Amino acid sequence: MSTSDSQPPIASEERTTLGETDNDPIVLLELIQRLKVRDVMTSNLVTVPRDATMQQAQELMRQKKISSVPVEEKGRLFGLVSIDDIIRALVAGTIHESCGRHMTTKLVVLEDDMPLSFALRYFDRYHYGRFPVINRDRQLVGIICHRDINRALLVELTQELHRLEGASLQKDGDDGSGSLYLLREFPICKYDFENAGKAANQIKQVLQEKKLPPKIIRRIAVAAYELEINLCVHSDGGVLSWQISNGRSEIVARDAGPGIEDVEWACRDGASTANEWIRSLGFGAGMGLVNVRRVSDEFDIKSKKGSGTTVKSIIYIEDKAS
Amino acid sequence: MTMSKVAEVLQAEVLVKGDGMSRRVGHVMASDLMSDVLLVDEEDMLLLTSLASDQVLRTAQIVGAVGVVVVNGKPLPSSMVNVANDLGMTLATSRLSKYDACVAVHTARHPL
Repeated sequence: MSTSDSQPPIASEERTTLGETDNDPIVLLELIQRLKVRDVMTSNLVTVPRDATMQQAQELMRQKKISSVPVEEKGRLFGLVSIDDIIRALVAGTIHESCGRHMTTKLVVLEDDMPLSFALRYFDRYHYGRFPVINRDRQLVGIICHRDINRALLVELTQELHRLEGASLQKDGDDGSGSLYLLREFPICKYDFENAGKAANQIKQVLQEKKLPPKIIRRIAVAAYELEINLCVHSDGGVLSWQISNGRSEIVARDAGPGIEDVEWACRDGASTANEWIRSLGFGAGMGLVNVRRVSDEFDIKSKKGSGTTVKSIIYIEDKAS
Repeated sequence: MTMSKVAEVLQAEVLVKGDGMSRRVGHVMASDLMSDVLLVDEEDMLLLTSLASDQVLRTAQIVGAVGVVVVNGKPLPSSMVNVANDLGMTLATSRLSKYDACVAVHTARHPL
């Protein structure tokens, strides 16, 4: 049998290392954490059944201008026919035989709820040009290639640019009414304990430089720290945003999953889903959200199981700021 | 009592002097649970802990602690010294247990 074993690699110059270094712009790091594979993949799929001939697959790829076609029946993924497979079939004279015999069967697949950063690591590790995407029920739901990622990032970056242009009208120092204005965003990665706490430490240092009252600084720092640790420990990664304007500090911890089933329960003393490893690091006692609410003047949490969580902490600083 | 004096009482080895050696220690918090540490509202607090991780130092910085003493003679990861230097946080180790360290500080402050 002339089938190949695995997906074909792509040339090394096409490989991406986005997110692998500290030099990538923060906005890009945040995007690849926030976006999920399902947000980026092509879901309008062209597929063939196992009994289609390799020639039919070749003709379909030519018509649709695609470099591979998944072999699928009733949502179940059986393999992938790539250009390499077609060339092998042409050389071996098996182009009229079934895709089921000559398709690539050892596939590396991605799940649709994985963060985009995970997909990028797969592209870098396996050097494949594309990955089929399945959902939790193991059904084929899409395919993802570099072009999909580039397109999605361009769209998201354009939107982010518009948002930042709006924000940049106000710079650190003054919000136009004489009040202090600050804006910072920190991407937080899942289980990144090496860096967990750095964002809150930076926030505290900035507040100390601005000479805010120590008690206000402590409350803001504690809220930021607890929310940062929560993102690190409980989410798939997210963003900690911090803004001071109109005499108040607003910290927003936003993630894209996995969401909280019972928000009321999660806000109780001692309620925790942390594992032993997290507890061994001194966290996961179920006091995080309780502590954030304790130090906040306004507190809000929105979450839904299967999607993201957004926690907001507002602390007034205006009357007490020096 | 200054942090320098407390280190002496705890027979501690000071690994990073940081900004705390001459500061007054007004309160001692002994805990391995960082969320408990974050509940304390005292600025001149010393943290005694048997947890040897970078997050102990970051937690101590958030609450404005005078310093951190890791008890039970626990070996520290080298990253802790680097983080303590970055944060200017006083870092020391003591062979005393957490309980004995608390007793030693209390006795030094209130002699029998």
